[in-house]
Amino acid sequence: MSTPILSVRALERRVGNTEILRRIDLDVMPGEAIGVIGPSGSGKSSLLRCIAGLDEVSGGAVMVEGRQTRPGDGAVGMVFQQFNLWPHLTARENVALALKLVRRMPAADAAAKADAALARVGLGALGGRKPAALSGGQQQRVAIARTLAMEPRVLLFDEPTAALDPELTTEVLDVIRDLAAAGTTMLVVSHEMGFVARLSTRVVFLDHGVVVQAAPPAELFSPRAEPRVRSFLQTYLDRVAWAREA
Amino acid sequence: MMQALLDSFAAAARGLPLTLAIWGAGVATGLALGFVVAALRFFAPAALSWPLAAAVEAVRGVPFLVQCFLLYFGGPFIGIDLTPIVAGWVALSVYGAAYFSEVFRAGFMAVPPGHLEAARMLGIPRNQAVLRIMLPMMALAVLPSLANLAVILIKETAILSIITVPELTFRVQGVGSATFAFAETTLVLAIVYWALVEATAVASRFAERRIARALAA
Repeated sequence: MSTPILSVRALERRVGNTEILRRIDLDVMPGEAIGVIGPSGSGKSSLLRCIAGLDEVSGGAVMVEGRQTRPGDGAVGMVFQQFNLWPHLTARENVALALKLVRRMPAADAAAKADAALARVGLGALGGRKPAALSGGQQQRVAIARTLAMEPRVLLFDEPTAALDPELTTEVLDVIRDLAAAGTTMLVVSHEMGFVARLSTRVVFLDHGVVVQAAPPAELFSPRAEPRVRSFLQTYLDRVAWAREA
Repeated sequence: MMQALLDSFAAAARGLPLTLAIWGAGVATGLALGFVVAALRFFAPAALSWPLAAAVEAVRGVPFLVQCFLLYFGGPFIGIDLTPIVAGWVALSVYGAAYFSEVFRAGFMAVPPGHLEAARMLGIPRNQAVLRIMLPMMALAVLPSLANLAVILIKETAILSIITVPELTFRVQGVGSATFAFAETTLVLAIVYWALVEATAVASRFAERRIARALAA
């Protein structure tokens, strides 16, 4: 068995008296795609933000390849729910900026690499467009390309389709699925249960800052799952049933 | 009466260059000072930002007329002995800076934190993120408010006449004092300032569009 690329050890986060995350342990192997699900306020986004180093941890450690991470060290890349593209720059410039400033690539090389990253998410022809001239799904794909171009060891997706309408969701999920198929190590927080079930090697169910269950999807999305997990998933099944009847 | 009007317009023409010069200089230093104050209030520790906040509130809370008096007549008591023109320029700069700084501060706050978090995750250093992402984003948002304030400041220059800055109002009032034609001179002042404000407003809208286009390119 290989060594984990990402290790979360007894991770805790408190804000005032509120415990957001309580002693989270998680090992992620290279090439794994971890789905993170759970009710709102369960700590899913906090877990990702603590792994990224954007939120301060109150205890425990996050290690990528044995080293403690901090934001911007290249170990971890993050894709946000709100895309966070810089509106005054074109898609290509959004992707190229860090290549120029951080990797110190010459402008032409950075632009070429940006175009390659955009092509990988199916946007090779739209590099010259500003974010405002792109659909939500295209904007999120640019954000993915921007993160990919820096070649992080682990990719974090924080509800990448939550700000998109259903028709634009598919194109983003397809890109994430392609990346997972290509062996990218990733953690994906999502409410798209069908997508999580098909994408993930393992699914982590969080509730009140605790890992209730971490298991392969076939186990977690089954009647054998923990009762809390089943009751959560039942609300999704009810909704689908309602939609079928309607 | 006709003669009084003509004399007033002639006096206005003589005072106009100084009005424009002191306004331009005041806006330029006011913008620079206001930007520094806003940046310090936004980025510096509380120990520094609190006194600055108090200073901004003080300047905004005291009438410009009183500030001019304080600087020009009160200054010598603490060793600040300025000529009328320099005192006028300093007063206008400080007064403008207080208002400009509030606009800049709002601009800093309007940049969504997520845009800077994205930069941070990619390893872009903080100072570069401010320069390449924060400032261009806020520039578009603050430009109209800054231009509006600059246009308002041109009317405030009239107050500098009371500390004997020989600008437009001072010169035209001189005609009034000499001829007792106060109605005519005041009418001329109203017309000239209104024309000035309209001209600068048009110019600032033009500049705004040019800058917005340059930033968007």
